[in-house]
Amino acid sequence: MGGIQFIINMALGSLIYLGLLIFVVGFVHKLYNVYYKTPQPLKIPQTPQPTTLGGVILRMAGDVLFFRSLSKGTTLLFFSGWIFHVTFFLILQRHLRYVLSPVPACVTFLNQAALFIGFVLLLALIVLLVRRLLDERTKYVTNFSDVFVLLLIIGIVTTGIMMRYEPFRPDVVGVKGFISDLLAPATAVGYMTLHPAHAPASLMFIFHLGLVSILLMYFPFSKLMHSGGYFFSPTRNMINNPRDVRYVNPWDKGSKEEATK
Amino acid sequence: MTDAKAPTDAPGDCNARVQELIKYVKLPYDHVELTGEIKVPKIQRDSMIKVHAQQLTSKDTLARLGYPTDGLIPNWKEVFLEKMDEILKKYKSVRLFMDICVRCGACTDKCHYFLGTGDPRNMPVARAELMRKVYRRYFTWPGKLFGSKFVDGWDLSEEVLVLWYTYFYQCSECRRCAVFCPYGIDTAEITMAAREILNSVGLVQKYMHEIIDKAQVLGNNLGMQANAVVNSLEFVRDELQETTEIPEIDVPIDVEGADVLFVTPSADFFASPHIESLYGYAKVFHQAGISWTMSTHASEGGNFGMFVHNYEHMKKINKRIWDAARALKVKRVIGGECGHMWRVLSSFSNTMWGPFDYLDAKYPRPQHICEFTLDMLKRGALKIDKTANAEFTATIHDSCQVARGMEMGGQKYGQFEIPRGVIKGVCEKFVDMPENTIKERTFCCAAGQGLLGDDMMPTRVKGAMPRMQAYSYVKKENGVNFLALICAICKAQFSKMLPTYGFPMEEVGGIHQLVGRAIVLGAKEGI
Repeated sequence: MGGIQFIINMALGSLIYLGLLIFVVGFVHKLYNVYYKTPQPLKIPQTPQPTTLGGVILRMAGDVLFFRSLSKGTTLLFFSGWIFHVTFFLILQRHLRYVLSPVPACVTFLNQAALFIGFVLLLALIVLLVRRLLDERTKYVTNFSDVFVLLLIIGIVTTGIMMRYEPFRPDVVGVKGFISDLLAPATAVGYMTLHPAHAPASLMFIFHLGLVSILLMYFPFSKLMHSGGYFFSPTRNMINNPRDVRYVNPWDKGSKEEATK
Repeated sequence: MTDAKAPTDAPGDCNARVQELIKYVKLPYDHVELTGEIKVPKIQRDSMIKVHAQQLTSKDTLARLGYPTDGLIPNWKEVFLEKMDEILKKYKSVRLFMDICVRCGACTDKCHYFLGTGDPRNMPVARAELMRKVYRRYFTWPGKLFGSKFVDGWDLSEEVLVLWYTYFYQCSECRRCAVFCPYGIDTAEITMAAREILNSVGLVQKYMHEIIDKAQVLGNNLGMQANAVVNSLEFVRDELQETTEIPEIDVPIDVEGADVLFVTPSADFFASPHIESLYGYAKVFHQAGISWTMSTHASEGGNFGMFVHNYEHMKKINKRIWDAARALKVKRVIGGECGHMWRVLSSFSNTMWGPFDYLDAKYPRPQHICEFTLDMLKRGALKIDKTANAEFTATIHDSCQVARGMEMGGQKYGQFEIPRGVIKGVCEKFVDMPENTIKERTFCCAAGQGLLGDDMMPTRVKGAMPRMQAYSYVKKENGVNFLALICAICKAQFSKMLPTYGFPMEEVGGIHQLVGRAIVLGAKEGI
C-alpha cells in the first residue's frame, strides 16, 4: 500500500466517520433536546388547522409531501423546490444499493430513469440558485450560507452525475466494497489502529464523498434542520381544539386554587 | 448566556443616543392610488425607517409594568441577552422559528406593510432576520466560536436596537406570512418576543403598554372607573329603550345569576360605529329571551397583553373575565366583536384559567357572539326583516386573529362560515372580496396588535392599501357599500381609512349593526 493511498484512505475514512458522527449526534440533539424539549406555552395552531389529530396528520402530510402551504404562494419556487426535494429523495434512496446487499427491488426500480432524474435534480438546483440571485426580494434576504448550501449540493450532484460517464466512472465493485468495509464494525476498529478501508482509486468518487461528508457536518448547524424541525412547528402540529381540550402550559400548569384566588 | 461580554463602546449616554435615533416625529403620509389591484412594489430601501412609535415615559406606569423607568438601561446588552435566552427557553415557537427558516422568499410579498411601503425590512423574513442575526451570533455554536461575520450575524449595538424598535413596531402580528410559509414560521411569535426584549431594556412603546397597564389597574382599555362603565352602559340602555320604544330592553350590569356573562371591547360602549353593534347584541339577547349581564369588573374583552411575550400581563388581564364569571355565577361566557380578544379567549384562556367546568358544558366555553346569533337565527328565535338592510350590499373583512387564530363552531373554517352566515341571515345582498384577500389569506386592517395609535398613521395608511384595493374592487364590480367587521380595532382603523381613501365613513360597521337593524323586536317568540 502506497503512502499516498494510505493518507487518502485515512483522510476519507476520517471525514466520513466524523461527518456521520456530527450529523447523527447533532440532528438527534437538536430534534430531541431543542425542538422537542423546549416547552410551548400556548396553543397557536394556524388555519386551516383541523380540530382532530387525524386531520392534523393529513394536513402535515400535505405540507411534507406536496408543499401545500408553499403552493399557495409563489409558483416558480413551489415547482422548483418540490421537484428538487422529490428528485433528491429518489436519488438518495437509490444510493441504498451501495449499502444494502442484496439490493431490494424498491431501490433499483428507477434504474432506467435514474440518470435523467439526476439531471432534473441538477436543473432544479440551478433554478433555485438563479432565482435566489435574480429575484429582487429573495436576493435581499439571501445570506452567504444560503448560496453555500446550494453550491455544495450542486457540487455533490454534479460529481455524482459525472461518475456515470467515462473517464470518471469508478469501479462499482470497489465502491461497494469500500462502503460496506467502512460500515463494518471491524473496519472501524481497523481505522483506529490505522488500518482504514481501501478507497477506490477514483478522484471523482473521493471528491463526491468528501462533499457529502462536509454536508453531513454542516447539516445540524444549518437551516437544513427544517427537515426535522417542521414536525415540531407549533402552528402546524397542534390540534385546533383549545376550548374543548385544555392545553396545559408546561411552565405554568395552573391550579384551581390560583384560579379562584 | 452571558459569555457575550457587553463591550461598553463609548460608555457615555447610550440612552440619549438611542432616544435621538428613535424619536417620534410626526411624518406626512399619503394613501396609495386605488386601482382595485394589489401590485407587489419594487423594493424601496429604508422607506419606512423614520416611522417610530411613541415611547412610554410615565415612570409610574413603567414601574407597575415591571419595566425600566428611565429609558435604555446602561447594561442593556446583558439584560437583552438574558431576556432573549429566557424567551428562547420558554417558547418553542420562537426557538424553532429562529432555526429552521431557509429564506426561500415565499413570504416576501405577503405582508400588507411591505405591499404598502416597499420597505424590504417589512418583508416577514427580513423582519425575522433582525432577530435571527442576533440569535446566530449569540445563541449558536458557530456564532459563539467564530463571531458575527461567519454566521451573517450582528453584534449587539445601538443601531440594532433602533432597527428592532422601528420594525418590530411595524408588524401587526397578523400571521398572514405564516399561511404561505412552508414550515408555518409565525412572525407574530417573533415580534412578540422582540417587543418583550425591548421592554426589558427600557424601550417601551406607549400606546399598547399604556393600555396593558390600564386593563390591569382599572379593568378596561379605555381606563374607565366602574361608575363610568355603569354610566355609559345606562346611556346605551336609555338610548335603546328610546329608539325601540320597548321599556323592557336592557343592558344589565353585574346581575348575579344571569345565564350569560357578556364581555366585549370597551370601545363598544361609546365609540362609533362600535356602539351600533352593542345595540345589536342587546337586541339579540332581548329577543332570544336569554338573561345576560355585563360586568364592571370584567369591563373589557380585549387583552393587549397578547401582543407581547409577557405571559403574566396577558394572564392577569384575562383573569378578570373568569373571576367575574365565577362571582356572577353565570352558565355561559359570550364574547362580542373583537379579533385578538377572541384569540385570547378561545385559544389561550382555557390554558391560563381553565378548566371551565363550572360553566354549562352544552356550549363552547367561551362562545363567540356570532356562534350564538347564528344559532338563534337557525332556531328561529329571532324574527328578521331583511328589508331593513335593503340599502346595503355587504362584504366582510375577516379579522386576522379570528381568521387565522381560532376555530369557531367546532369545525374547520367555522370562523369564516359563521360570521358570513349571520350576515346572510340579516342582509339580502352579500359579496365576498377577491379570494386572495379573504378568509385564511385575509389582510390585516394594518392597525392591529398595538399599532392603532395616531403615531403610526404612516404605516396604518400604507398598510391598509391591500384591503382598500380589494374593497374598491368589489365596490366597482358589485356595488358593495358596507364593510362588515367583527373587531373593534378594525372598526377604529377603517372608519379612519375609508375617508382617507375617499370612501364614506358610514360604510364601516359591525356585523351586529346589521343584525340590530334587521331584528323585529316585540314579536317575541323566544326559544
